[in-house]
Amino acid sequence: MAGLSSSPDMRGQLGAVARVRFQLFVNGLRTIRGRLEVVARGIMFLMFGAAGLGGSFGLGVAAWYFVSHGNVEWIAILLWVVFLFWQLFPLMASAFSENVDSSNLLRFPLSFPSYFLIRLVYGSLDPSTIIGCLWLLGLTIGVGIAQPSLFFWAALVLFVFAIFNVLLARMIFAWIERWLAQRRTREILGAVFFIFIICFQFIGPLMSRYGEHRHPDASRVTAQALPYERALPPGLAAAAIARAVKGAFAPALGAFALESVYALAVLWLLNVRLRAQYTGENLSETAARKTSPKEKNALRLSWNISGVPGPVAAMLEKEVHYLSRSGPMLFTFIMPVVILLIFRLGPAGTSARQSNFLSHAPDLAFPVGAAYALLILTNLVYNCFGADAVGMQFYYVCPVRFREILMGKNLTHALLLACEVVMVWFAVCFMFHPPAVDVTLATVTGVAFALLLNLTAGNLLSIYTPKKIDYGAFGKQRASTATVFASLGIQFAVFGLAAVTLLIARVFGRIWLAAFIFLILAGVAAIAYALVLKRVDRVALDRRDAILAELSRA
Amino acid sequence: MDAPAIETQGLTRRFGDLVAVADVNLSVAPGQFFGFLGPNGAGKSTTIKMLTGLLSASSGRIQILGLDLGRNPVDVKRQIGVVPEGMALFGRLTGAEYLNFVGCMYGLDRETAGKRTAELLDFMQLADQPKTLVTDYSHGMQKKLAMAGAVIHGPRVLFLDEPFEGVDAIASGTLKAMLQRMIARGATIFLTSHVLEIVERLCSHLAIIHRGRLVAQGSLEELRAGVEAQAAAALAGTSPGESAVPAPGEKLTLEEIFLRIVGGTRGAEQELSWLG
Repeated sequence: MAGLSSSPDMRGQLGAVARVRFQLFVNGLRTIRGRLEVVARGIMFLMFGAAGLGGSFGLGVAAWYFVSHGNVEWIAILLWVVFLFWQLFPLMASAFSENVDSSNLLRFPLSFPSYFLIRLVYGSLDPSTIIGCLWLLGLTIGVGIAQPSLFFWAALVLFVFAIFNVLLARMIFAWIERWLAQRRTREILGAVFFIFIICFQFIGPLMSRYGEHRHPDASRVTAQALPYERALPPGLAAAAIARAVKGAFAPALGAFALESVYALAVLWLLNVRLRAQYTGENLSETAARKTSPKEKNALRLSWNISGVPGPVAAMLEKEVHYLSRSGPMLFTFIMPVVILLIFRLGPAGTSARQSNFLSHAPDLAFPVGAAYALLILTNLVYNCFGADAVGMQFYYVCPVRFREILMGKNLTHALLLACEVVMVWFAVCFMFHPPAVDVTLATVTGVAFALLLNLTAGNLLSIYTPKKIDYGAFGKQRASTATVFASLGIQFAVFGLAAVTLLIARVFGRIWLAAFIFLILAGVAAIAYALVLKRVDRVALDRRDAILAELSRA
Repeated sequence: MDAPAIETQGLTRRFGDLVAVADVNLSVAPGQFFGFLGPNGAGKSTTIKMLTGLLSASSGRIQILGLDLGRNPVDVKRQIGVVPEGMALFGRLTGAEYLNFVGCMYGLDRETAGKRTAELLDFMQLADQPKTLVTDYSHGMQKKLAMAGAVIHGPRVLFLDEPFEGVDAIASGTLKAMLQRMIARGATIFLTSHVLEIVERLCSHLAIIHRGRLVAQGSLEELRAGVEAQAAAALAGTSPGESAVPAPGEKLTLEEIFLRIVGGTRGAEQELSWLG
């Protein structure tokens, strides 16, 4: 065939991918959103640049200090810092969003080496690789200044260490990409990530609680962990440099060889994953499960909620199904209890300076937990159509008024908050002590007022500034920026009013007075809620084109 | 005399300076299987969106079963079923949950909704995977579910935007059987499709929109007669090879009628010498 060479040119293909990436970047500038994104990236680039150069200088100085002061083994600590940053930062930053589908590349006549190289090169152009390389460069220079004769050896060891990190990061991502390709594995991975984040929250309180006194077992555990540390790549790289500094070249060479074996092993694993992609693995989401005739023919009825109109009950059921299938959302709902636990585990000193404020004033635990539960819920309330995405079209073609649709959603959110407040109450009873009756009453009425006000504003903002979200994926549940700012303003107003109310109650020395005032405020908020609900059909109809355009986008 | 199932007067939609649909006057009688055709970007989806309440009209009037859509949106929507372009599905429900939900939103009691859900899932061959979420369905399964959702309340008028797009032959056969059953029971169906063979086989009446304007409307025979008459009138000025009049005993297909009305050429004559 004319014009078609027998073997596609790898350089040409790499160039084509580079050009298309540039073209995508340029086309992205056509929209204001795209331009803002570029500005944000520019700022990020400057920040990462500063972190890279600053870290490089710091690590270089530290390496020079360790080598020139006879503590060369401590370079291992520096290499572990580089390693952990290099591997963990991309995971945190990507927030489990869906990745680019590699099958886009596979339809072209790419040889496997080309495909491998493209995935490796373009996947590695990220801040962690650039910062990691700068840091290792700093380390090399630091070692070189301290002991010039070992500069090239350190450069070689750290170069292999850099390659190991690049390959490992790509290998981890290639496997994560595999798991993210399917909804179920994506959600499991998200849940694991969330548990990791929650565990992270406990480090601070536990350190401040137990860190002041040296634990007798700590030194023993550290001593036991050291041999394992030395057998891992950061430890091996450090050992290769340290042994060479001490003139033990054979062990240094051995450590370097083992480090290289690690790099080769990771290369092999990456090769296995990418080859599976290259040969066209099937990651279909369609379930092939067969069911029994009994299960197949079972009559499934919708919920029967007496006293609630059919469409409102149907909305309630649908919302509950949606939330119950969202791992990330379910995890956020336990956060109020987690926050109380973090406070509970914090330092419990006798003075106000030493202790956290809840152990100083445990009466506030219930209001704080309930307020936090409300804050978490605002994310749902202020963008309540976001998760419906293209399903939003159905609300416009079905014979149900928007006020009923919103009532169904609001009822779900109110019930959810009620459950959370009860859960917080029990958690407070268990972790601190049962809240006083007047505090409970004031908190419940305060929450009722805040909820009604938030629902009122949330219903309007859900229609005026909707944003498509995904309950099942991390980092895809944020409302629009306008909604976030409006929501913040409303929270300031709500908490301001609550503070004034509590101040009045405190001045008179009667907490139940706060409950009374909150009840009046809740009445006013209820009127506002009803007024908004009455007008919401008109607003939804006026905003129809914009809402559907936003929520139906791919 | 019955009011038209669908009637528009001066229906227009502008997007800034672009007039996507201009002064469209449609009339669809009750019981008709109506095909709405047009090239890409002609205004088909915009029109069907306006007819179903998914998009506001810049001007003009829409009447469904004699009711003004603007004034009685809820009453109109109670009597129509819609499969829009995006299918309007809720991904994180199972098929049964989705149909139950849709049934209740259309005002069915829970027993009726549950019974019809089971029947529809069975008819559409979706009952095998009761616990699979809609988001995990294949495209064809989603199309069938969307269709099931559109008919669960027994609508008198059904609007379908590209119902056969991405659907395999088996699913397509199921959908066609259901649509023909609905027509036999007196329902009106309004569909847009690029698959002209299917439209020719199913639809009794057609309208063709081109660059936002309605350029033809009537039964297939009326459209055919119109094209042939035009061709005959122009015959004197053309060479025999270019004549649009078919040979005796031959009928113009819908594809030929369509291409002649919208003035399209397939470009097959253009030379792509490198293509082998």
